Amino acid sequence: MNVISASSITGSALDAEKMRVDIVSQNIANANTTKGIDGKPYQRRIVAFESMLDAAAGSNMQGVRVSEIKRDETAGEIINNPEHPHADDDGNVTMPNVNIPFEMVDMVTATRSYEANLAVVRNARQLATQALSIGR
Amino acid sequence: MEMVASLFNSDNYTAVKKMMDVTALRHSAIASNLANVSTPGYKRVDMSRSFEDELRASIKSRDADEISAAEPRTEADTLTPSTRADGNNVQIDSELLGLTKNTMNFSVLTDFASGSLKQLRHAIVGRPV
Repeated sequence: MNVISASSITGSALDAEKMRVDIVSQNIANANTTKGIDGKPYQRRIVAFESMLDAAAGSNMQGVRVSEIKRDETAGEIINNPEHPHADDDGNVTMPNVNIPFEMVDMVTATRSYEANLAVVRNARQLATQALSIGR
Repeated sequence: MEMVASLFNSDNYTAVKKMMDVTALRHSAIASNLANVSTPGYKRVDMSRSFEDELRASIKSRDADEISAAEPRTEADTLTPSTRADGNNVQIDSELLGLTKNTMNFSVLTDFASGSLKQLRHAIVGRPV
């Protein structure tokens, strides 16, 4: 029996949304990384979510998990900057394909989803407290 | 014994217990919906329409056995159209509204259940408690 109902579902969502914010921060941190650990310009990472059935919480109830962290293969912007240490023979540098406004929007969306799930936790606690005080 | 039995087997008390089960299940459904707000293709889960009709009819009949026989269940809501390209039909604000409503409902129900128990205690000790 679960005193706080659906806590496993909400927990999985908090984990997944946290991962999304982590990936956004990694993308923003590497917005100017022209040489990643593989020697190529940094490619932004995309988080893909998938739902998973949570039988403990009831039929039809679905938690969520990060199914995959993919690289965005879109080509980055090429700028001409011969002084750059990573410039090729023509003086061109390939920049990472990170788009800061896009990442910021993703971060706000993830934060709002996280807050919504925290509201579920608050309400679940309220339900449990009220149920425990029946008869008082 | 007559009075104790009538308190706990009355149609109202049974209906309140059943409604509390429904509230707990609806809470899980909303938790599932809010967890999957970013999952492509997810369809929101809600209380089954057929169950709601069944429960309404049983409460109207005022028959405690019929009320306790109704089994709460959920179903995927494919009727609400998706406003997003990924086919997900969860609206974060309406889910949060449903969550608050559900919690308020629950507090009304616990108040009623407490009231029934307090009545019994009142009868046992012979003064209001």
